[in-house]
Amino acid sequence: MHELPQQLANGLILGALYGLVAIGYTMVYGIVQLINFAHGEIFMVGGFGALTAFLALPGGTSLWIAIPLMLLAGILVSTLVAVGAERFAYRPLRGAPRLAPLITAIGLSIVLQQLVFSFYPDAKKARVFPKIPGDPFELAGITIQRSDIFLIIAAPLCMMILGWFVAKTRSGRAMQATSQDPDTAKLMGIDTDRIIVMAFAIGAAFAAVAAVAYGLRTGQVDSRMGILLGLKAFTAAVLGGIGNIYGAMLGGLALGLTEGLATGYIQHVPGMDLFGGAAWKDVWAFVLLIVVLLVRPQGLLGERVADRA
Amino acid sequence: MRNRSLIVVSIAVAGALSLSACGSRGEKKAEDGAAGSTTVTIGVDAPLTGDLSALGLGIKNSVDLAVKQANAKNEVPGVKFEIKALDDTAKPAPGQQNATNLVADKTVIGVVGPLNSSVAQSMQQIFNDANLVQISPANTGVALSQGEAWASGTKARPFKSYFRTSTTDAVQGPFAAQYLVNEAKKKKVFLIDDQKAYGAGLAATFKGEFTKLGGSIVGEEHVNPDDRDFNAIVTKVKSSGAEAIYYGGEYPAAGPLSLQLKEGGVNIPLMGGDGIQSGDFIKLNPKSQGDVATAVGLPVEQLPSAAKFIADYKAAAYKDAYETYGGYSYDSAWAIIQAVKTVAAANNGKLPADARAKVVAAVQAISFEGVTGKVSFDQYGDTTNKQLTVYAVKDGKWAVEKTGTFSG
Amino acid sequence: MSTETTPVIPLPLGAARAVTAVGALATTASAFLAWTWTADFPGDLTVTGYPGGLQWLTLTAGLLTLVLALASYGVPGLRWTSPSGSDNGLLYAAFGGAAVTWFTIIAIAIDLNGLANLEPGGWIAGVASLVALVGALGLPVDRHPKGTSWGLRLAKTDQPLPTARQLPSTVEVLLIVVAFAIGLFAITFGIDTEYGELFTGYLILAGFVIAALSKSGLLPRLRALTIKHRPIATGAAFAAAAGFPFTQTSDQYTSVAANILIFATVALGLNIVVGLAGLLDLGYVAFLGVGAYAAALVSGSPASPIHVQFPFWAAMLTGAAASMVFGVLIGAPTLRLRGDYLAIVTLGFGEIFRITMNNLNGTTGPKITNGANGIPRIPDLEILGFNLGQKHLIAGVELGRFSNYYLLMLVVTAFVVLVFARVGNSRIGRAWVAIREDETAAEAMGINGFRLKLLAFALGACLAGLAGTVQAHVSYTVTPDQYTFAEALPPNSAFLLAAVILGGMGTISGPLVGATLLFLVPKKLEFLSNYQLLAFGITLIILMRVRPEGMIANRRAKLEFHEADIPAQASPPSESALTKTGA
Repeated sequence: MHELPQQLANGLILGALYGLVAIGYTMVYGIVQLINFAHGEIFMVGGFGALTAFLALPGGTSLWIAIPLMLLAGILVSTLVAVGAERFAYRPLRGAPRLAPLITAIGLSIVLQQLVFSFYPDAKKARVFPKIPGDPFELAGITIQRSDIFLIIAAPLCMMILGWFVAKTRSGRAMQATSQDPDTAKLMGIDTDRIIVMAFAIGAAFAAVAAVAYGLRTGQVDSRMGILLGLKAFTAAVLGGIGNIYGAMLGGLALGLTEGLATGYIQHVPGMDLFGGAAWKDVWAFVLLIVVLLVRPQGLLGERVADRA
Repeated sequence: MRNRSLIVVSIAVAGALSLSACGSRGEKKAEDGAAGSTTVTIGVDAPLTGDLSALGLGIKNSVDLAVKQANAKNEVPGVKFEIKALDDTAKPAPGQQNATNLVADKTVIGVVGPLNSSVAQSMQQIFNDANLVQISPANTGVALSQGEAWASGTKARPFKSYFRTSTTDAVQGPFAAQYLVNEAKKKKVFLIDDQKAYGAGLAATFKGEFTKLGGSIVGEEHVNPDDRDFNAIVTKVKSSGAEAIYYGGEYPAAGPLSLQLKEGGVNIPLMGGDGIQSGDFIKLNPKSQGDVATAVGLPVEQLPSAAKFIADYKAAAYKDAYETYGGYSYDSAWAIIQAVKTVAAANNGKLPADARAKVVAAVQAISFEGVTGKVSFDQYGDTTNKQLTVYAVKDGKWAVEKTGTFSG
Repeated sequence: MSTETTPVIPLPLGAARAVTAVGALATTASAFLAWTWTADFPGDLTVTGYPGGLQWLTLTAGLLTLVLALASYGVPGLRWTSPSGSDNGLLYAAFGGAAVTWFTIIAIAIDLNGLANLEPGGWIAGVASLVALVGALGLPVDRHPKGTSWGLRLAKTDQPLPTARQLPSTVEVLLIVVAFAIGLFAITFGIDTEYGELFTGYLILAGFVIAALSKSGLLPRLRALTIKHRPIATGAAFAAAAGFPFTQTSDQYTSVAANILIFATVALGLNIVVGLAGLLDLGYVAFLGVGAYAAALVSGSPASPIHVQFPFWAAMLTGAAASMVFGVLIGAPTLRLRGDYLAIVTLGFGEIFRITMNNLNGTTGPKITNGANGIPRIPDLEILGFNLGQKHLIAGVELGRFSNYYLLMLVVTAFVVLVFARVGNSRIGRAWVAIREDETAAEAMGINGFRLKLLAFALGACLAGLAGTVQAHVSYTVTPDQYTFAEALPPNSAFLLAAVILGGMGTISGPLVGATLLFLVPKKLEFLSNYQLLAFGITLIILMRVRPEGMIANRRAKLEFHEADIPAQASPPSESALTKTGA
């Protein structure tokens, strides 16, 4: 069992990545009840935005300067795309039956993916993303990639900022009000359109942070990276209780841990020797989702809400 | 392929309007070619769009190059070659529709393709029924040519029209195992594959030979080819005490896998097949120094025909690189052209009526020096070329480590 | 009706008609001229005295315009072509002629680099079609008084039809048969188009012709006839479909048609789930996969670990039953939840299915599916001694392998259509619609929401499984990578959903038409090649803004999506017959 601390650490780091992306799903869903299917692609364009910034910088720029600039560029691109999508694709469909914006989201997801695939230079294959050079850290028997430092710092920081924003600021409270009852919020003088745009923008910014973390971690970005990660992140959002920002992070961590532990340990469970390892980890993540939905349909931290759909 | 109803209606309309239709267009087209020369088509089926399009376009361009050179050299007197490239998007159903399309086109004399084994499975029977020769430059699944029971020793060729210039998994995997045990002296290997036909097949044949030679597989893992996060696997490799990793799969996942291994403090080489022997593997993986790959054929420097192919390909100024399977594709097309030559020569320089069946037989007997070495086929339709090269990453380049011939 | 009837270009009526008719005649005649000097442009448009390729389309448009123009004059014997008496149909026909002719001219100019490649014939065609269009614009066309754009005002008009003349019912039946024969010809033409330009032209023309005929009143008449003689109409439709292989000389296009039928049938099954019951299923292709895998396992393939060979009916039942079991397994836990959870669970299921099929290969799981190598060499079916893999001579026509499978698949399609129609109009179908509209209200009315939703889900899965059993045999092989969420080519879950939504939710013909288009467009328009998926995505987004109810709208869906546009419900009584809930 000497792998256990390492597998837990792996799971938590991966889970934090899922959680950051899941924030976007959960915020948008909490306010407009829309599964923003294209959010995985918002994440992906953030990665390419950051890459573009890196390529534009003169070679040999210190990563201490480069990473913040890449982060800014990623956030900028992601946010612009997300807000543009909200304005031109989703907003006209507000009030249409539930299926219409969802199909639009699927369409948008395909379009963004194809735009990057076809028109970003050399994006038909994976593009190389910079890594933080140097040997890994050893800490109490746990090895941590140097590049993961970014995520380990960024994820809690982002959560704290978001928590403060939602609870303490005027806009944050308006956001909460809108998610509880959009009509009443509107009557109270809240500009709900602005709040919706804000939800999209915050989600996109978080996705961009996650994209930079992903790029640093795997050393590459590619046009298809949003599909699988988006799916996982949405699962995380549902798992944690959709609409709840802490739930999204918790769901992400739970999902990451499940995958890490499934890869490491399922095959040691008697009778399960054929169903372990990385090949089955996604299946186990899915099983976790089904079990949670059966036992606690509102998700881990979700509140039991009256039917809105 | 005009359909009957169109002809019926066109005659009716033309008749009703009392206009004299002046001859059929079909005849006119046949006169296009120079006197006495016939035009035959070499079909290509490969993924020309989508994720694998880079490989597919490399196949198409290489066949195109072969056809152009054959025409320029007047390789087969009185026969002009054309190419008809169809896109299968790496899926069986469109591949099968392409197969029926090529079969229906009476000028098609042979087909180069496909890239994917699953596509080949849906086409083999159709080409076989039509006696149309098919040479795949890329399929590695052993069962395609030797039947499902090959592993247990009972080989039976299911389709007589199916050939391939690529080597099967049964050659590359064991060759790698021999290298690891005999030259690199690695006895403990962690085996990883990507669950795709190519990768899983390679890993399975590697495992068989490696354990036979006395090595031990200290762990096995299987990754999703779309995954890019392998830290959980890295942890397992680390605690397994492996001396090397054998990876069955392609470079898009192998690059980050090897990188994350080394970032995770596991400094052991990763070995793979020709799926990772690509410049992109090194690009995606700044810590690839010491990783090893096998590839089929002699290294380009030792094979003048390969150097010529590369120079010609460059001179032809194709938009896309020839990629992994360019040389095999060129050889596949050239094998068909040579077969047509044989058939025509045996029939006073003209193609006989049953040219397709004759070409299948001629391909079986073909033998010439191609881009990838000697091109000829054994009784299963597999290439007899069993020369392999081991490459290792040195200073950001694949450097030749060893060349050899695989024997049993 | 609240329409205004004014010409777009102020011309005297007589002059406008004359100009239109002359233009149409000239357009028709120009199709027989040489349009370009070289045979390099596909279809060979160089011959004078005989139309070819795209010229056929111009010819069709010209003839239609001419006939409608003569009908507008009131020429006896042709008035039946325009029962509504409105000139809107004529305008659309003229538009179609101009569009397809100018498309051809532009295509020639682009393909051959420059307008210099046009022969005088091409210029004549272009000018003639424009003359007809100008004339038609001078006709008094009906326009909706309100509306933002000119095109929308034109499109939104409803032409009232005078009561139809009573015809002997044999004549009516004959008309239906003739109409479906023409339909068969049109569809055959579309499937057989050999190059992208012809197919694009065909799509343009088909769109305008359908608009023209529906505005002229001919299509609504036909629809009324088919409703009156529904069994005969349905029979004629299937007979026309069954006639397709007999028009073919090789398997080149029947293999395409067989795959279209598989895709369309699965889309129809999905329509039960999405269109009737309102359950969003994003992993539907997995049920096709379950059926295909089940059939492959019992097919007697040498690669199958189960060495049995079921007769076909048993294999079909196995596939359908296996799919249904999975449908219940997935549906039971998730259908109790409300709303969007189902979407994510089905999406997850679709992915998990693929991963699991990959894993059951003997090393990462029990050896069942051979992993990525799939189950190849599935033997051809033999039904009552009739081997579907071989060529057979039927009625003097040689039917190849794919023709056989096409006909078999047609039987399956007919079965699914039957199930859809019967269930849709039953108590269960109405309960589904009630649940879709408002689940709370439906449950208050005593409907057991969970049980009915599960029924819809299981039935949909079962029908997809049925199609899967045929698919496994058609493609000889079953591999996991055929069953994905989104790819450039159908069938996959995203395209299936798109076929349902594009075609029209809750209707029978909608998904069939939608699936056919979604299959043919990427297949034929290879010049789009790398931008196919991009175009597909853009189409989805635009469609959701412009016409979310799909091409063939269920009347109820139409009302739902366009509540604002339809002021008062003053629908004439004859239209209530057209309201086909779920039919």
